[in-house]
Amino acid sequence: MKRTLAFTMIGLALAAGAASAAPIGVGVGAYGGVSYPIVQDDVSSGSVFGIRVPVKLIPLVTVEPYYLSSALGDGEVTLGGVKYTRAGFDNKGFGLNAMLGQVTGMGFHFYPLVGVGSHKLTRSGTPDIKETAYNFGLGFGIGPAPKISIQVRGELNMVVTGDTSRKFANATAGLTYDLLP
Amino acid sequence: MKSLRIILPALALLLLTPGCILTSGQIMINFDLPDVDATSPTGLTGQQIDLNTESDYKDHKDQLKDIVDFAVLGTFNNTGGEDVDVEVYMTRDLTTYTDETTVKTNGILLWGPFKVPVSGSKSIDWDGSAALFSAAGKKAILDEAKGDGSFTLYVVGKAGTYAFNVKDGILALVIDVGI
Repeated sequence: MKRTLAFTMIGLALAAGAASAAPIGVGVGAYGGVSYPIVQDDVSSGSVFGIRVPVKLIPLVTVEPYYLSSALGDGEVTLGGVKYTRAGFDNKGFGLNAMLGQVTGMGFHFYPLVGVGSHKLTRSGTPDIKETAYNFGLGFGIGPAPKISIQVRGELNMVVTGDTSRKFANATAGLTYDLLP
Repeated sequence: MKSLRIILPALALLLLTPGCILTSGQIMINFDLPDVDATSPTGLTGQQIDLNTESDYKDHKDQLKDIVDFAVLGTFNNTGGEDVDVEVYMTRDLTTYTDETTVKTNGILLWGPFKVPVSGSKSIDWDGSAALFSAAGKKAILDEAKGDGSFTLYVVGKAGTYAFNVKDGILALVIDVGI
């Protein structure tokens, strides 16, 4: 995983160099929302928040280092008339998303995204799960002012655990401020 | 573009194949355990478990990948004269051992120890119980779940002379399966 991220970062640096003639856009954003576990009986929905740094390398491609932190709710089940709870995971991770199309700027924008990251799921009574995660989703950017945009996204965050995965549907909204140009 | 026409359908096929990383989930199954009454180290009773009696297990047995969470739940009552550290052993076969020595010789430590003070009664929650499963026990129960699905559990004391019972016992498993 670390090697994949390292190669990705090197690729980004090279791409950034190649695109140095074009105006590079850099922003910074914060977001928050809700994370829903998908087909997981032992955890329930919780909050998610994080930061993103969108970097527009070429006109229609934006890459975005991100940090995500979510606090999932406890799993609950009633067995034999007794209600039991299982602590929900804390999901923390960082990685890189790539978006096709314009993300920030004035007006209304729509873009698909894919990404890869390294995420760690922790909770009491269970060894930590630190694995590669993949992100897929759709985003909407609404720019009411020249350097400010509202970002609304729906994405699938999939933390691979061997032959299976823990999947979370994240619905988020956030604000992004364009630092460059 | 030509390569994309090949790569994208292949990727979609891979992701949507039953049992792959995308089409998987974590499903909870549980079993009510009969009340356990361990009157002494030589007065034990095994609990025979057949996972095939659980429909969720039967439905997903072929796509079972892992067991990601366990819990032995219930109320433990110490009826003996000293503190007891309760452990759960399992034998891979359906057995009817009655003494601690035979159980520990032929079984695998699955869970514990869980201390119950003398004359005390303690319930254990899911989080606390999940932390008491041994790595060897996890592997053993996964092997059984992927095998015939039947095994025997024994609730014993770790050492010494003891007497205790377990009421409203439940074995809860969260299985990692393809769907």
